[in-house]
Amino acid sequence: METQLEHSEKTQPPPVPVAIGRPPQASAWRRARHSLLRARWPIVAIIILLIATLFAVFGPQVSPKDPNRQNLMLRLTAPFTRDEAGAMDFPLGTDALGRDVLSRLIYGARVSLAVGVTAVVIGGFLGTSLGMMAGYFGGKIDDMIMRIADIQLAFPFILLTIMVLVVLGPGVVNLVLVLGIGQWVTYARIARGQTISHREKEYVEAARCIGARHWQIMFKSIFPNIVAPLIVIASFNVASVILAEASLSFLGLGVPPTVPTWGGMLAESRDQLLGGSWWLAVFPGLAIMLTVLALNILGDWVRDFLDPRLRGVGF
Amino acid sequence: MKRVFSPLGILSIVCLLLAMPLMVSAQAALPDDTTLVIGQSVDIASLEPSLVTSRQEANIFGHVFATLYEISEDGTLQPYLANSYSISEDGLEWTFTLNEGLTCQDGEALTAEDVAYTFQRAANPDNAFTGNTVGFVMPGVGYVDARADSELEVTIVMDERQSEPLRLGLLSEVYIHCKDSYEAMTLEEAATTPIGSGPYRVVEWVRDDYVLIEKVADFTLRESGFERIYWRVIPEASTRVAELIAGNVDIIANVPPDQIEAVNNSGTAEVQAVQGTRRMYVGFSQRDIWEGEGAEAIRNPAVRRALQYAVDVPTICQQLLGVECTRAASMVNDPNSNPNLTPYPYDPAEAERLLDEAGYPRGEDGWRFDITFQGPRGRYLNDAAVVQAIGQYLTDVGINVTVEILDWTSEYLPAVREHNVGPMFFLGTGGATWSALYDMTDIREPQGGTNYTEWNNADWFAGWERLANITDPAQEQEVINEMLQIMYDDSPWLFLYFQPDFYGVSNRINWQARRDEQVIVYNATLAE
Amino acid sequence: MAKYLVRRLLQSVVVILGVTLLSFLTLHLAGDPTYLYVSERATQEEIDQTRALLGFDRPLPEQYLRFVVRLAQGDMGNSLRARTPALPLVMERLPATLELTIFAMVISTLLAIPIGIISAVNRGTALDGGVMLFAMFGQSVPSFWLGIMLILFVGLSLRWLPISGQVPVLVPLLQGDLMTAAENFPQAFRHLILPGLTIGVFSLSRNARLVRSSMLEVLAQDYVVTARSKGLRERTVILRHALRNALIPVITMIGLEFGFLLSGVVVAETVFSWPGVGRLVFNAITQRDIPLVQAAVVTFSFIFVLLNLLIDLLYVQLDPRVQLK
Repeated sequence: METQLEHSEKTQPPPVPVAIGRPPQASAWRRARHSLLRARWPIVAIIILLIATLFAVFGPQVSPKDPNRQNLMLRLTAPFTRDEAGAMDFPLGTDALGRDVLSRLIYGARVSLAVGVTAVVIGGFLGTSLGMMAGYFGGKIDDMIMRIADIQLAFPFILLTIMVLVVLGPGVVNLVLVLGIGQWVTYARIARGQTISHREKEYVEAARCIGARHWQIMFKSIFPNIVAPLIVIASFNVASVILAEASLSFLGLGVPPTVPTWGGMLAESRDQLLGGSWWLAVFPGLAIMLTVLALNILGDWVRDFLDPRLRGVGF
Repeated sequence: MKRVFSPLGILSIVCLLLAMPLMVSAQAALPDDTTLVIGQSVDIASLEPSLVTSRQEANIFGHVFATLYEISEDGTLQPYLANSYSISEDGLEWTFTLNEGLTCQDGEALTAEDVAYTFQRAANPDNAFTGNTVGFVMPGVGYVDARADSELEVTIVMDERQSEPLRLGLLSEVYIHCKDSYEAMTLEEAATTPIGSGPYRVVEWVRDDYVLIEKVADFTLRESGFERIYWRVIPEASTRVAELIAGNVDIIANVPPDQIEAVNNSGTAEVQAVQGTRRMYVGFSQRDIWEGEGAEAIRNPAVRRALQYAVDVPTICQQLLGVECTRAASMVNDPNSNPNLTPYPYDPAEAERLLDEAGYPRGEDGWRFDITFQGPRGRYLNDAAVVQAIGQYLTDVGINVTVEILDWTSEYLPAVREHNVGPMFFLGTGGATWSALYDMTDIREPQGGTNYTEWNNADWFAGWERLANITDPAQEQEVINEMLQIMYDDSPWLFLYFQPDFYGVSNRINWQARRDEQVIVYNATLAE
Repeated sequence: MAKYLVRRLLQSVVVILGVTLLSFLTLHLAGDPTYLYVSERATQEEIDQTRALLGFDRPLPEQYLRFVVRLAQGDMGNSLRARTPALPLVMERLPATLELTIFAMVISTLLAIPIGIISAVNRGTALDGGVMLFAMFGQSVPSFWLGIMLILFVGLSLRWLPISGQVPVLVPLLQGDLMTAAENFPQAFRHLILPGLTIGVFSLSRNARLVRSSMLEVLAQDYVVTARSKGLRERTVILRHALRNALIPVITMIGLEFGFLLSGVVVAETVFSWPGVGRLVFNAITQRDIPLVQAAVVTFSFIFVLLNLLIDLLYVQLDPRVQLK
């Protein structure tokens, strides 16, 4: 953990900030638009994420039914079933308690995305701040923060998550907190490395000369220049948090079943699989897969666009 | 760019390697004719007989260790190591007479001294045991001491008179072991190398994988079928069912209701549904720690009675548990319950009328009162689904229910133990067919450990006073019936059902599942 | 070198102590776990008694100090459930988990390298597109779900591979019983495939993409162009010159991978009834068997620290520009 990979600095020039100073906004946008239009997949990814986000935000308005309204007599209705009147009441079928799968999917987008995004924001904020502090101040502060990072890395994350959730009880807040805190080391390490390489740059010197405070230098001068790799990591991380939520649901440590989430729906569906109720697994499974896929594709693109040299960062 | 074959070559070689075992032997070895395989969800924690706490452990120990009496398949108490017992005048001393010629599995003769030792060893505080024997049986019977009177007669001393079947049933849960062998072992050794007294001996225990036991040839008290029994640990229900259908496992417990059809259609196994003895109920907590309109409302017996009509128990059974069920009318299992009690029917209109009458009409927003209803997940058959369904039924009669589902081991169990679940909560407690009093012991004292609602009805507890002085079974039943009527009317529990149990049984064997959640398989045989 | 190693080991001790403190605090966050050790019908008196027996009535700092003192003496205490020493319980289950993780690591790297290379070399073709799409999917499937699907299709419907369970091969090997190990090997291998895939597919997909992109990068670099212009065979260029450098990010990944694979292990061991440490420690956590959890956590972090040391040493072999300092 102490070895420095010096080769990267010798064989390649140190990573140039994406743009020194601030790039003219218009040209950045134009570049992004061009790059997007050239590659087709990122557009598809953006559309998928947009739909998921719309569902998440406008869930109650677009959801056809109350996601928790049960009807035991109509449980396990297959998708696309029409009743006697010819109406398709449950387009994607009903679950083991007779709840509408479509409505649960829409509401599930809300919790799943919220959990993913919030956890990443928490982890990203914590990790970036600590990492920048470590890189900026160096010395004892650096040593201490990195030692804590080592401890966290040596502690299998899944065990920590399980411990916290078992002891404090599973629930949305605990889940978000523990998944968020679990991410900080990745951000901290990258923020630290980048901050170190920027610490002695002229623009930082300049800021120091005009008497800027430490935090001003860190957040106003350095941060904008090191944000690119962090964003790349974040987009991959949202995806992995969504998957982690599903796995924890399987272990019985996810969000309580009264709150619909994609992971929870998928985990619940396993009792019905052998019975042939495929739709309970297929729809939330597809929702998770498409979202994660979209986030990964988008992450790839953002990385290539912002800085092709970051390849290998993240996943 | 030229094509490069080398990586492709590596890839195909790796794939070939991966595919090889597929071709070598397409079929895994199925269990042979002398071996029975059982799939259980959790492993045993120890092989120490005084540390048994879970049902899964008791299943294995019941084959390795024998008991004084045993609870037979039909739910009655039968002689086992002992052939008879007598009770002293004051009801405090019980003397068991053992069968002759008994031995432990290391060849040591099993005598009265060993039985006394079993009890003394379990009770010895130095051993720090926490299993059923110390935690449940001994306080349950009021154990004081045990002594050997002669070679075959052992006397167990208790601190008060108690109903006969209740005490005998509890004492039948103590696994007898031999003095010399256990005195020679440290506690650590005893936890891994048990020396049993039953029809099977432990051959091998691979933690989290399986326990293998084999038939003891010279055990004469009962005839056993299979030579070897594997108790495999398969935590995931879908995997258990898949292994059953594939023919690798012969018996599994707790088949998820929605997979019953798949098992029955498989052609290799069938599901046996049995009416269990575990009593499932919704408790109305009477503790004063609960605040709010809802908590206040359920302190009123009229409200509790009204809610008995609100939940459609038969539909819950049929839809969520996959079985027709009779709704419970009391906390006591048949045939010991009060025969005059009829279960509350599902009648939401009647529930609404009674709630109006009790002073809780629907408000302008449609709600009568707000209340929290808690339930566990991961403990009982389809528990989370049942809890949510009950929540829906209560909502339908105008009660603004917040359903909270908590993880069993980490959250619910500790709260239950502290009587901190509620104000409404879902629970199931184990019952028995051999004694009404066993079932009623749940509510033995107003603040007692298992009286989770802390229901404090003077007439009910007066009933217990009367029972203490009755020895005649008919008279006893009379008081029991009166008490059950009191409970029916006062409704501290919203009676639901006796939990059905689903066992998946391979067509390869003949075996009959029991009602009391015990998996006893020495009588299983190979099907023709 | 020796000085470096000593310093690294000292740091590891601090790290491992930190890990134990973290897990100790976490497990005690919600009060004492006595309830899990008494029967359903226990009275308050018995509960108090049990609490004292288990030592949960003492102040927390005292409980932790006792633990550290005993740890220094090499004693991890007894498992509260099993009543036997905790560390052997972990060690007993470790081989099964190692078999699984090593297998998963092997497929996730060994398969990833050729797949990544093929994709890179055939960049932009349908083959590349297909492989990368597959890799994307591999990174989007929750592992428990993949596991259950594999059981239902490969295990139950097709009957190609065993559904669950494990056949030991590492244990007889370590005991020197080569005959049994060899005899068990084919069955053991068959049992490994499904759980191994369940854990490994995510990493396989990620590594394949990683190899591809770093290969592409390396292929565009001067020295590769030079090598090509010297007229070397394409094969030689790729395997001799490019691959070596393309592997560096993959090796960095493997160090972090262990912790990651472990999270897959808990799920896969549950789905496939694999008798490994993952399930052991999961159960120990739910039952608050604190000494057992600590023993497992110490073991894991020890392996992690050791593995990373090895990887740093491996860098030196692979890349002469890296220096230990």
